[in-house]
Amino acid sequence: MPDTLPAPALPIGHYGYDQVDRAFLADRVEQFRDQVARRIAGTLSEDEFKPLRLMNGLYLQLHAYMLRIAVPYGVLDSRQLRELAHIARTYDRDYGHFTTRQNLQFNWIRLEDTPDILARLADVDMHAIQTSGNCIRNVTCDQFAGAAQDELVDPRVHAEILRQWSTLHPEFTFLPRKFKIAISGSPNDRVAARFHDIGLVAKPAPDGGTQFDVFVGGGMGRTPIVGVHLRDDLPEEDLLAYLEAMVRVYNEYGRRDNIYKARIKILVQALGTEGYRQKVDAEFAAMNRARYRLPPETVAAIRARFGTPDLHAPDDAAAQLDRARRADPVFDRWVRTNTHPHRAPGYISAVISLKPAGGIPGDATSAQMDLVADLADRHAFGEIRVTHMQNLVLGHVRQDELHVVWQALRGAGLASANIGLIGDIIACPGLDYCALANARSIPIAQKLGARFASPELQETIGPIEIKISGCINACGHHHAGHIGILGVDKKGEEYFQLTLGGSPGSDASVGQILGPALPEDATVDAIARLVDAYLVHRAGGERFLDTYRRLGAALFKDAVYATA
Amino acid sequence: MSDVRNNRREAGGSSVITANRLLDGRIVWQVGEAAWSTLIDDARIIPNTQIEAAIAQATARQQEDGLVGVYGVQIESDDATPTPVTVRERIRAFGPTVHPDFTPAAELEAHA
Repeated sequence: MPDTLPAPALPIGHYGYDQVDRAFLADRVEQFRDQVARRIAGTLSEDEFKPLRLMNGLYLQLHAYMLRIAVPYGVLDSRQLRELAHIARTYDRDYGHFTTRQNLQFNWIRLEDTPDILARLADVDMHAIQTSGNCIRNVTCDQFAGAAQDELVDPRVHAEILRQWSTLHPEFTFLPRKFKIAISGSPNDRVAARFHDIGLVAKPAPDGGTQFDVFVGGGMGRTPIVGVHLRDDLPEEDLLAYLEAMVRVYNEYGRRDNIYKARIKILVQALGTEGYRQKVDAEFAAMNRARYRLPPETVAAIRARFGTPDLHAPDDAAAQLDRARRADPVFDRWVRTNTHPHRAPGYISAVISLKPAGGIPGDATSAQMDLVADLADRHAFGEIRVTHMQNLVLGHVRQDELHVVWQALRGAGLASANIGLIGDIIACPGLDYCALANARSIPIAQKLGARFASPELQETIGPIEIKISGCINACGHHHAGHIGILGVDKKGEEYFQLTLGGSPGSDASVGQILGPALPEDATVDAIARLVDAYLVHRAGGERFLDTYRRLGAALFKDAVYATA
Repeated sequence: MSDVRNNRREAGGSSVITANRLLDGRIVWQVGEAAWSTLIDDARIIPNTQIEAAIAQATARQQEDGLVGVYGVQIESDDATPTPVTVRERIRAFGPTVHPDFTPAAELEAHA
């Protein structure tokens, strides 16, 4: 693959649209404008209009319309983030909500404003297409892609190729159910690849090119399943052909008679790994491989539409960071918890927690978005990443500038030192916003965040992942939480079921139900007792998950239900 | 939005009728024929013996009234003002619990 230097105007970290892309989006906005006008005039019924608005990311939720905007592979540029802030300020209630699909949702949108909002998004090369519906959704990616020290292949170019392949793919617009793909280029799984319909891990091939590990049939929801490893040697040139075959088999054999059995995970379980593999291989063998081949020149052409950062830090950048850490213990703690090693000397990746103690996980005000955009421009090549943990990342920060970045974040309430700790909770919008939810997720997250607010306490407890879903659809990933919390409805009242032992990573596992669901007012205390039990019984520096795996559920069950 | 969970009605109870406004999606409660309010306190209380007919009438007018998703919500029998029996409908009526400033009453006041 040639090293093509991109034009300076290209955005850092994501694909730069060309005129064809922009013309398409402009047409699409006008098409939707006409559909909205016809709906308001009554020439389109709600039943006719609903699939059209969903194809443009517009849901009708509990209190208002919700617009879900795609952030391809979780990468934004500062211009785009500022536009999102503007939309929040002008058309919504001055905030946005970052989601576990690395997207952004606005909760208070007016139908009649939506075409204008989509036009504004199109002006900054964004849209809401395929953020809903039974199609291939936004491809998610490692938040440290292109920056992480442990990365073997930068997966964003392939994520973009998958985005282009799957966008308005005529064969895959009406799949049996929604379809989610995640891609990573690190052996340390930070994308929950094994919990996706298809999970891809890019790695170097023996010939010097790129190949992929392929996982299939993972998922959460009503039937949580860890995906099976389909192959470990998918060549780059066959990436699209093989995925086309995989989705075709699903499209043909996936169940359409029962919404609860329609995801690919059910098909893979029904056919067995070998059965599914044989059908995919047969489809693959029958395909016109030349048509679907992904040649190195195409990959290079897509890569050339990405801006790349010019990484040159002063020789003493690391020493300057060390001095700042020694001088300021609060900053030192934040660096310990909220940064990730960078591949380039003198650089570091900084995670901006959107989980202030007692706050709403994933929410950011328009002023905070503007501030992060400014910081990105000054210190991170104008690039921002959204994580599936509902935080933001500045991927490429010079170590000698990190203290300045932290001070600015701190002034805006964005410097919680809790990444990977008990305060770093995933929570879906839950019953406060979502029409499908059975129970509220956010208040439980807020109470837990406040209960464990102390940064010292959080570091003492160590790495632990709490994930909360307000219904069995599991948008809050509770099945993959070390501690999962599922809201259930009992005769119109909220109860919460705990699961333990889930993990989204390379050691993926599904959490197991601990016992009967708890009333809302007993749930936070029960989790506090559970954490206390862990602190008593953990050996050495083991994580909560390790203690659970070593000792089993009994002692935690005793702790939760002893006084409940 | 209509939901199977909202079909749980006790024969001896009462309900109110709700919908979302088409243009902005906001929740409204039926006050009278073709009259709707964002405040559940204003809602017309209907015995459950008559609620299905009333929902059918409101549904038939929903495009004309600029509404979507008309349905009935059972309320507590012993409250002076209408209070839905389920958490879900109480949140719809009084706003997201995580934003006390977003209640329908506060919104009306802000725009007064």
